[in-house]
Amino acid sequence: MSAEHNDNNNSILKIALNLAFACILSGIIIGLVYFFTADIAKQKQIELQNLALQSLVQGADKYTPIAGKPGCYTATKAGDLIAYIVPAESKGYAGAVKLLVAVSPDNKVLKYTIIESKETPGLGDKAAKSPFIDQFPGKNAGELTVDKDGGTIQAISGATITSRAVTKAVKLAVEEAATITKGGK
Amino acid sequence: MKRYWDIFSKGLVLENPIFVLALSLCPALAVTTSVVNALTMGLTVTFVISMNNLIVSIFRNWVNPKVRVPIYITSIATIVTVAELLLKAFAPLLYKELGIYLSLVVVFAIILARAEVFASKNRPVPSFIDGFGMGAGFTLAMLIVGVIRELFGNGTILGYTVLGSWYPPALIFIMAPGAFILIGYLVGAWNIWSARIEKAKGERGETI
Repeated sequence: MSAEHNDNNNSILKIALNLAFACILSGIIIGLVYFFTADIAKQKQIELQNLALQSLVQGADKYTPIAGKPGCYTATKAGDLIAYIVPAESKGYAGAVKLLVAVSPDNKVLKYTIIESKETPGLGDKAAKSPFIDQFPGKNAGELTVDKDGGTIQAISGATITSRAVTKAVKLAVEEAATITKGGK
Repeated sequence: MKRYWDIFSKGLVLENPIFVLALSLCPALAVTTSVVNALTMGLTVTFVISMNNLIVSIFRNWVNPKVRVPIYITSIATIVTVAELLLKAFAPLLYKELGIYLSLVVVFAIILARAEVFASKNRPVPSFIDGFGMGAGFTLAMLIVGVIRELFGNGTILGYTVLGSWYPPALIFIMAPGAFILIGYLVGAWNIWSARIEKAKGERGETI
């Protein structure tokens, strides 16, 4: 090591302190912002989830989490059970596709909504839209396969993998709902 | 005023981040499949790059040159994280839309490049304007690519159908290879255009 590395401006300690100070400053700022926003963010998250549940099952007035099944809800209207809400996920074209599926008490699909996916915009993300999504209501677990595999769901052209993934996730959710029905009766 | 306009406008055409500096091409490919995505990404980058240039410029005399790059990255990450936390708390729906873009922005080459090339050597106000101009140029380029890709790949613009059902969408425009081909042609076109601008300026005897 030559002498110039040890002069005042470039001593390793000074450099390290400089970076450490920047990181500490950054940490303090982020910490403070988090401290003040965490509670509000949590509140908003719950509101958002309720909104998602409401758009899934219209007309329900109460959503109750199902004991022993994390993420599952029953939707009731004036005390009558009208739907189970079951989360499901499967592997799509670009990572996991997460859905929330509403299943009727007689184990047919009511509706689903995609809560998280990284599918190709303009191609795979058509799975969240009409006409693809319109094929699902009223189907039971046995019918939920894409046409290329001999089922009744017509896959989106150019996005067979996504179509398969979504269909499979919905099927899983319906089967999951069936176990809830059995357990309850 | 003229000086500020020059700083701002060079990011739009002559030093356009995507078509001329060829920085941040990866997101240009990844998120320009639709106009909405391209615009959202562009505005997010404009915000972060302007703020980062401002902050780097304010602290430029305290940063040790040997650790400047990690410090710039820390600064970008701080801005992005704070923006993320604020959005989560006060605009969760917007956060849901912007979420994936925001975390991508941290590693954008163009933001680091402007901190290094411009903000670390200039006063805060010009630095902010430089960042804003670069962000605007980035947004412009993203929009051009996004409009072409969405129009030919899906027959729509901003989700509205422009080309009717007679038009079979060319899927290649939506996929990454289509974006590569398109950006290649656009870089070529951009070079012809900016060469003309420079030539015209040269003939008028202006310095570029």
